[in-house]
Amino acid sequence: MTDTTPQQLPGLSRSRRLLDGATRHVVGAGGVAVICAIALIMGYLIWVIVPMLAPSSIKHIATYSQSVDQTLFVATDDTFETTTLIRSDGIVEFRNTEDFEVIQEARIADGEIVSVKPIFPSSDSYAALVDNQKLVFFKVAHVVRFLGDERRIENSVTTLFEDSTIELKDVAEYDVYRSDTTLRIALLHNDGSLVVHEYADVDDYFELEEPRQLNLPPWNHSVGDSEIILGPRGRWLYEIDTSNGEYRLLNIASIRRVGEIHEGLLGSEDDQFVSATPVLGRYSFLIGYQSGRLEHWSMTPSEDGTNLQRIREFEYQESIAKVIMEHRRKGFLAIERSGLAHLGYTTSRRTLATIDLGKLPQVIEFSPRADRLIAVHKNSIDIYKVVNKHPEISWATLWGKVWYEGYEEPVHSWQSSSADTDFEPKFSLTPLLFGTIKAAFYAMLVATPLAIMGAIYTAVFMSPGMRKLIKPGIEIMAALPTVILGFLAGLWLAPIVETHLTSIMLLIVVLPLGVLICAFLTTFLPRVVSARFDGWYAALSVPILVLLAYLTLSNDVWLSNLIFGMDAKLWFYEKAGIDYDQRNALVIGIAMGLAVIPTIFSISEDAIYGVPQHLVHGSLALGATRWQTLIRVVLLTASPGIFSAVMIGLGRAVGETMIVLMATGNTPIMDINIFQGMRTFAANIAVEMPESEVGSTHFRILFLTAFVLFALTFLFNTVAEVVRQRLRSRYGNL
Amino acid sequence: METSEKLPKDIGAFHRQRVGIGSWFQSGDPWIWLTATAVGACIVAVLGLLGLIAFKGLAHFWPADVVTIDFEGDSGQFRIAGEVVQREFIGRDQYMEASPTATQVEGEQVERWMIKSGNRKINAPDFRWVYRHEIVQQRKDCDMIVFERAEWGNAYGTLVEIKEQGQSVSVDNLWGELQNRIERVSDLRDQARRIQKGAINRINYKLEKLRLEKRNRELKGIVNHTDLEIERERLNAEYVVEERRLRAITSQLDRDEIDLKIADGRISTVSLSDVIRAWRPNEMSLWKKLGHYFSSIWIFLSQESREANTEGGVFPALFGTVLMVLLMSVLVTPFGVVAALYLREYAKQGPFVQLIRIAVNNLAGVPSIVYGVFGLGFFVYLVGGSIDDLFFKAAQPAPTFGTPGLMWASLTLALLTVPVVIVSTEEGLTRIPSELREGSLALGATKAETMFKIILPMASPSILTGVILAIARAAGEVAPLMLVGVVKLAPTLPIDGNFPFLHLDQKFMHLGFHIYDLGFQSPNVDAARPLVFATAFLLVLIIIALNLTAITLRNRLEARYREAML
Repeated sequence: MTDTTPQQLPGLSRSRRLLDGATRHVVGAGGVAVICAIALIMGYLIWVIVPMLAPSSIKHIATYSQSVDQTLFVATDDTFETTTLIRSDGIVEFRNTEDFEVIQEARIADGEIVSVKPIFPSSDSYAALVDNQKLVFFKVAHVVRFLGDERRIENSVTTLFEDSTIELKDVAEYDVYRSDTTLRIALLHNDGSLVVHEYADVDDYFELEEPRQLNLPPWNHSVGDSEIILGPRGRWLYEIDTSNGEYRLLNIASIRRVGEIHEGLLGSEDDQFVSATPVLGRYSFLIGYQSGRLEHWSMTPSEDGTNLQRIREFEYQESIAKVIMEHRRKGFLAIERSGLAHLGYTTSRRTLATIDLGKLPQVIEFSPRADRLIAVHKNSIDIYKVVNKHPEISWATLWGKVWYEGYEEPVHSWQSSSADTDFEPKFSLTPLLFGTIKAAFYAMLVATPLAIMGAIYTAVFMSPGMRKLIKPGIEIMAALPTVILGFLAGLWLAPIVETHLTSIMLLIVVLPLGVLICAFLTTFLPRVVSARFDGWYAALSVPILVLLAYLTLSNDVWLSNLIFGMDAKLWFYEKAGIDYDQRNALVIGIAMGLAVIPTIFSISEDAIYGVPQHLVHGSLALGATRWQTLIRVVLLTASPGIFSAVMIGLGRAVGETMIVLMATGNTPIMDINIFQGMRTFAANIAVEMPESEVGSTHFRILFLTAFVLFALTFLFNTVAEVVRQRLRSRYGNL
Repeated sequence: METSEKLPKDIGAFHRQRVGIGSWFQSGDPWIWLTATAVGACIVAVLGLLGLIAFKGLAHFWPADVVTIDFEGDSGQFRIAGEVVQREFIGRDQYMEASPTATQVEGEQVERWMIKSGNRKINAPDFRWVYRHEIVQQRKDCDMIVFERAEWGNAYGTLVEIKEQGQSVSVDNLWGELQNRIERVSDLRDQARRIQKGAINRINYKLEKLRLEKRNRELKGIVNHTDLEIERERLNAEYVVEERRLRAITSQLDRDEIDLKIADGRISTVSLSDVIRAWRPNEMSLWKKLGHYFSSIWIFLSQESREANTEGGVFPALFGTVLMVLLMSVLVTPFGVVAALYLREYAKQGPFVQLIRIAVNNLAGVPSIVYGVFGLGFFVYLVGGSIDDLFFKAAQPAPTFGTPGLMWASLTLALLTVPVVIVSTEEGLTRIPSELREGSLALGATKAETMFKIILPMASPSILTGVILAIARAAGEVAPLMLVGVVKLAPTLPIDGNFPFLHLDQKFMHLGFHIYDLGFQSPNVDAARPLVFATAFLLVLIIIALNLTAITLRNRLEARYREAML
């Protein structure tokens, strides 16, 4: 500001000079550090968000020449250190992932394994069909042990159910589902009969007990073409004719009798069906077609029961020969006949990366974390590195409607619970944005008129003595912890509003009207008396308000019978179909309105009070009444200031956390109804952040919402600040 | 200074003819009344809010009379004793809905009372709604005793006999004897607590240190731990001694029992080890009640909470709040002041500094939860995680600083409040007339000397105002703390007798979070409600006191500069 210290001042001792220099540097460094810290907030938020936008990739990293032509199935452990190959001659091989040499072998069956399927929904147990005559169950485990500091992986294969192999006759197709308590095996025999066996009380180490059996009606399709798949929780059975895409969906929730059966066709007449692959959780399928189209069909509830319906599609170039799924998400790899593979994600309808595999591999599988892809050819193994961190996110899934599995139609939905095979997280920010706007809207609806009118009276008409008390009094409200307002709103106000709904709504009319009537009555008082009231209107209105509020609230039952003829809540429910939620937007409006009033009040009061006095005097001198002067001169001049006050208030309402957290049910619904709750960005962060896994998509989305809040309030406040500075210079010019 | 209203008094009022509504509206006076109503509504809201919190918060400690009421109605004939907590009217519809078997009642409304009948575990439920019209008789028995129990809330009943090791004690003054024995139990309990919180806690802390030391050595490749083993043996032996002492004390706790006759006539045996206090509200004089009232407030302020925070005091939360706020102000003051000095005194004034000023201003309006997110991501996971990797390898995988804690909470709140301090300090700096600076420099002082001797002292009140406002804001902030370090129940205070005495990595309790947790996560909301109000009142009191201090300081400051300028 002022000139710097003269550096070469004679007589300035060394120590003084040193101190001066040091101070300058310390203050400079400190100041810059604080400013950097502020910049850091924004920078860090962005730094966490950006990886969501990073592109995905698949890269070929190595080829190993090994004779593996007998491989039926391949799997890897979680850390991609051991690969398990299940061979058709009944051997399970463990190979390391450094050179793919065999490190351990185990025999699980004496005959020829025809096919291997993972037991749904587990990821480490398998069922193998041997010689079309029996089923063998086994479990593969990789246990990490520490011997001193040495880390070792112990691989093992254990046969399940006390070596019980199930003897069967001429099985063509099978599928196995296992829950904690039951094991269900669906079998399609060569003679066309379709049977489901259910075993109860299954334990890894005990023999299977005598099963219960459900015979299903046979299907008039060729057995050789049919594929059977057990659906979610083993309660459904899909039977698909792989030659033309016709299917049956059987409800086998009860083992005693078969429920409804739906038939249908996956696809259309003009496109040849190629393959159907169940998506994780098996609520839906990815259907590949000759033309290169890939469609996503999901179980959808409808009037005549649950049936498969197309919910989205992808377009690729050539016939989709094979589709494989990720193990923990709904991502897939669709491989064309030529070996061109597309990495995609169902929910977000994104194709993330494409790679040419050269030729169609014999067996191909994702690693459990979906960071590697292992492709087994006759005499070689190819390893691909997959980088695909956040495929479930796209602009459309964040803001638009998404057709989730099991839904009747595309919806906006926020359900962030962590993913498992039965549930997919839904990350639509629209309900949260809606909730944020709704809460802010109702709060502003309450706060803006009260605060601005209050500011007008306080700045213009109030007697100075009272103003000195009122202004700081209301400003102290700004410092009142919102947790207190929130708890009062949730625990005290919400029940009162619920039981006194009619009178609370009536207050909006009764209070101003009552005060006006009283005010009119004062005009009948002697002029000497009524003139003394001037400047004290606000104080006078207090007893009137208290009295009127008391009278209205205590006669609620009578009033609601008078107006609605019944309880108001009941009336809204019966006549308007509006459901009443105890912690709703009305409560939020009142509570958050109270939190915002001081902000708007204080800033607009300053703006109005700052209007130059000579303008007022000029107007009055020209014969305008006080009210005319106020409206046409004072408010007009102060309007930018009032605008900026509203903006700052809005900023506060948008980001307020505790009140909404405590005074709403926090359900992310999209309902404009004032008697329903909402979930806002801020409350959502407070609820979900502590449980969110660091680095996960959910974590980054929460950061994104924090950033949106940051950006919104920063924008509001900047606009307000710029307007305010302009206003200041304008007052200077007037 | 303005000394009158902005618009002069309505002179016209003296001349206007009284000609009814039309001209009244034309005068604009009704609109002025409406604006006044808005102010009135705000005043009512503010006062009502504060009054409500104060009333409900303070009423909680009053030893309310215990009423014994006989009922006869749809729900049968019964008798309960307890405190009347709430009286209200409900509509007839609601009443019929709540009790479908009820007979038709007269009138539009039904009065109902909420009775706190306590005796949880003996006689459920502890809070119940009863209808006024079903009351047959009510009275206040002098010998009705309220027992504050260590678990399960209050018990109400009359004393039948005192038993020592199963044998009935025969004394004339049963009540006096009871008080003596409660005294004895509470002494024993104190002793046990001292051992637990003192010696045993210290030994456990040392054992944990030893474990970490051993792990540290292992990581360094040192295999010889004999010294550690010896030390561990010594500590274990010490532990056994202390534990034996503790057990000796706790075994004495169960010596006495009392037989209690509760309202429905049943006799219930209560171990005195469960009883914390007992009083007879119905026979207490006003002075006695006042004494009890203030001792209850003292207990509330000075003791730990019990029963998932629904009983007892808030001391740990109060302590945590104060400590966190102190740490925060230690961090925020130097940085805020230095940043303001830089912006006002050292940086070259221009559009860039103006931009930064706007940015700083705006940061004060950024939602606090955003700071919480930043604090969790940056401080806790990034910085804390790195500190753990560098210095606390031994404790891993359990995080030391890589988890929410006191330090990160203070830092986050410091960042949140630094704009407040900057803005306030800057305001103070701009008020200092530049003649003073120039004068000082002209007399040969360096810039640093001018700053230390002239500018900072003159700006000190505004710095203080800023810090107080920052503290007031920090004390009431809850949302960010939920992410960076507050817990519902912390086993120990963050300051104790174990080196290094102040444990920055510990989680802590906080008054604001206490309110949230009690009101919304509590298993027994009815029991918790009065305590929530009391806690809220305490917090409001602290914050209003801080704000009033700030406002007073600001006013004094203004007055002082007005003098200085003249």
